[in-house]
Amino acid sequence: MRNKLLHNPQAVIGTLLIAIILLMGVLAPFLAPHDPMAVDITKKFLEPCNEYPFGTDQLGRCVLSRLLYGARYSLGLALPILAFLALIGTTLGMLCAWFGGIFDRLMTIVCDIFMAFPPLVIVLTLIGVIGQGAVNLILSIILSMWVWFVKVVRSYVLIEKDKDYITAAKISGCSGADILFSHILPNILPLLVVYFSTGIASIILMISGYSFLGLGLGNDIPEWGAMLNSAKQYLYSNPMLIVYPGTCILLTAAGFNLFGEALRDILSPEEE
Amino acid sequence: MHFIKKLIRVLIVLIGVSLLSFILANLSSVDPAEAIARRIYSNPTQEQIQDIRTEKGLDQPILTQYARWVGNCLRGDLGTSYQSNQPVIQEMAGKLTATLFLVGMALLWIVLITIPLGIVSAVRKDRFCDHLIRIITILGISIPAFWLGYLLLTAFAIRIPVFKVVDYGNLRSLILPSITLAASVVSSSVRMLRATILENLKKDYVIYAQARGLSTAQILWKHVLKNALPPMVTLFFQNIGMMIGGSAIVESVFSWPGLGNYFVSAIVNRDLPVITGCVLVLGLIFVICNTVGELVNRALNPRMISGKEGKVV
Repeated sequence: MRNKLLHNPQAVIGTLLIAIILLMGVLAPFLAPHDPMAVDITKKFLEPCNEYPFGTDQLGRCVLSRLLYGARYSLGLALPILAFLALIGTTLGMLCAWFGGIFDRLMTIVCDIFMAFPPLVIVLTLIGVIGQGAVNLILSIILSMWVWFVKVVRSYVLIEKDKDYITAAKISGCSGADILFSHILPNILPLLVVYFSTGIASIILMISGYSFLGLGLGNDIPEWGAMLNSAKQYLYSNPMLIVYPGTCILLTAAGFNLFGEALRDILSPEEE
Repeated sequence: MHFIKKLIRVLIVLIGVSLLSFILANLSSVDPAEAIARRIYSNPTQEQIQDIRTEKGLDQPILTQYARWVGNCLRGDLGTSYQSNQPVIQEMAGKLTATLFLVGMALLWIVLITIPLGIVSAVRKDRFCDHLIRIITILGISIPAFWLGYLLLTAFAIRIPVFKVVDYGNLRSLILPSITLAASVVSSSVRMLRATILENLKKDYVIYAQARGLSTAQILWKHVLKNALPPMVTLFFQNIGMMIGGSAIVESVFSWPGLGNYFVSAIVNRDLPVITGCVLVLGLIFVICNTVGELVNRALNPRMISGKEGKVV
């Protein structure tokens, strides 16, 4: 498995990109040449130079430092969101598929109702009524996406539970919990990792989109979407302020997408 | 029988959609009575607010309010905007038209680009063309839509002024925003079409067709594409709903006077009737699109039991 990953260029590039972004976030305090929040109006819109390798923004803040700290916000928001979604999705999805019956039917209807709203609509409305802020953003993204995760996990478990080895496990007297956790879960885990990996990419894109609309975090926070939001007024004079944060978002999302897709290729039977 | 079951299910979902729309909007800390009072009197007294609360029935239990709201909606009355004093349904109709033009153009791109690229990528698997298409599409699903919009604006409206930065009302104005809106959908559709074709190429019926001496082109056009169609149709119709609901970001970049921009400005201004109305209409559109998608699939392939393909975000 590890060998296959190493021999797949997609997987290698994806892993490298993810590693770079992670390092950027973790090492930001050591790598950043300046305080990302330090405002100095006298130094606004500086061209790239030795002191400010990527120049400065409209308030004279160091763009490079803000980009480095931005990795913290993107991953720092996306990872907890994914963790919650994975937990909710896996628990409810497994329960629905395993028990079936009335619980499963009710859940399917709830899923259909929530899925009738594009995630953007739910998040916009919730942010509109409960207000902005990191916690509210996390809550509303979870609320807008949980049903998708439940549905996917449910469909994986449904396929797996009809296989012969599960029948064999049942005959040999395994309990329901035993089968779910020591047989089905380990077997669908790779599929879940693929889904979660591409899921992170869409969560990162969503976060930046909401920040861009001015509904995520405040503009002073060095989050990539928020940086784009404040840079859009200077589209004519300083297009590079738009290019840098966008590239960061693109590379992060591409990293997780590449990794997820490569893993899917490796896991699919045609490659074996 | 299947049709009746389906209908009941759609009805249940619609009731749920209306309930969720109502709940979402009522979580707000905005007091509707006060908001209406501020519209009538510049500086309303507590009594005036109380009068309006009684008059509009806002002091009644939440379920009574919901029932009345649904009744009004069924009669086509979505309330009056706090900001403009115009009936929400009237304002929304104009905005929805603008969004539909944008989505319609985007759908055209999706069909025109997805089919050839998906086929080429699958047929020339692991060749140069396939690698190139896969790289472009992975970038396409990873690029933030609004950023792509700005890049296109900078390139084709500022550097090389082929288009205008703010433009509305003609075919030319549709091109950049519709490309922006279509980019990620095209990318995911191409990848899906490629995967579906490759999966079908391995099936027994293809080997049988080869044994009968049919050419590769014949097998591809007559058999494989027909079998690859149902999941693509489901995805296509889901994407219509998704794009209408998700156009806010693209509309904001191109200052497009559509439903998404209208919705975002209502949220910023806490215009409750508009927020509730938009949520309800967007939910309805999505349910309708999905249902139409399933019906089309059944018409194309009567043997199919149910459209169980689900789009994965």
